[in-house]
Amino acid sequence: MTDTQISADPCTETVQLTIPCRAEYVGVARLTILGVTGRIPFSYDEVEDIRLAVGEACTHAVERTGTDTATIRITSTLDTVALTIEVTDNIAEADKAAPSEEARLLEEAGVDQAGLGALLMEILVDEVKIDTSPTGTTVLLTKYTPK
Amino acid sequence: MNLTMNSRTPSETTCILDIEGEVDVYTSPQLKQDLVQIAERGVKRVIINLSKVEYLDSTGLGVLIGGLKRLREADGNLALVGPGMRIQRIFEITGLNKIFDIYTTEEEAVAKEGVAL
Repeated sequence: MTDTQISADPCTETVQLTIPCRAEYVGVARLTILGVTGRIPFSYDEVEDIRLAVGEACTHAVERTGTDTATIRITSTLDTVALTIEVTDNIAEADKAAPSEEARLLEEAGVDQAGLGALLMEILVDEVKIDTSPTGTTVLLTKYTPK
Repeated sequence: MNLTMNSRTPSETTCILDIEGEVDVYTSPQLKQDLVQIAERGVKRVIINLSKVEYLDSTGLGVLIGGLKRLREADGNLALVGPGMRIQRIFEITGLNKIFDIYTTEEEAVAKEGVAL
């Protein structure tokens, strides 16, 4: 089940989507972001960069959840300066999953899976801020609009 | 969002895997399972054709790194062929283009990897 809200005022436009925190829904978030970025004169590469960064932020949540009831809320806000995308999950500390076998295998190979996703986000958008609290994590991605 | 894979096995120790679609957190377990099965059959050299891959994220990269590690430990290799510009860029910005052998064409990969067809 997904939930989409759209609101607009003269200064900012906000699109909000809530998806189950499951792997099969990450593509839905990416498709929505594709629609949002289409309203801004970003280049093809910039649009793809934002799409991948949002995918990584959602994947970060999906990989951590140990419960079927968690959700991810993606809030895209566009103003005259930037597109900001807030990816918030409600995965409480107690609901976190143990690292997957793949993650452990990669760690043995010297690769940090979450670190790889974070690295991609850092490179793909202009600013990344990650806030973790006992009730969930928020990834804030900012991409400045073309001048 | 989907991923299709077709494998060719020109020799007992070689496999060419054509993958098409999106490799992400949803589909990468499917790729991982195929790579594990291929390695368990005794295949040492895997060439993955990425020319029809439209999307690759960190979980897909993780699966490819895991496959590379497994095969190199068995004195084999996992080489990549034909990534489009977007996919090539992901390898470049993560520095993984220095870890993987990436070729432009399948013919080049076969020749350089010393694969007998």
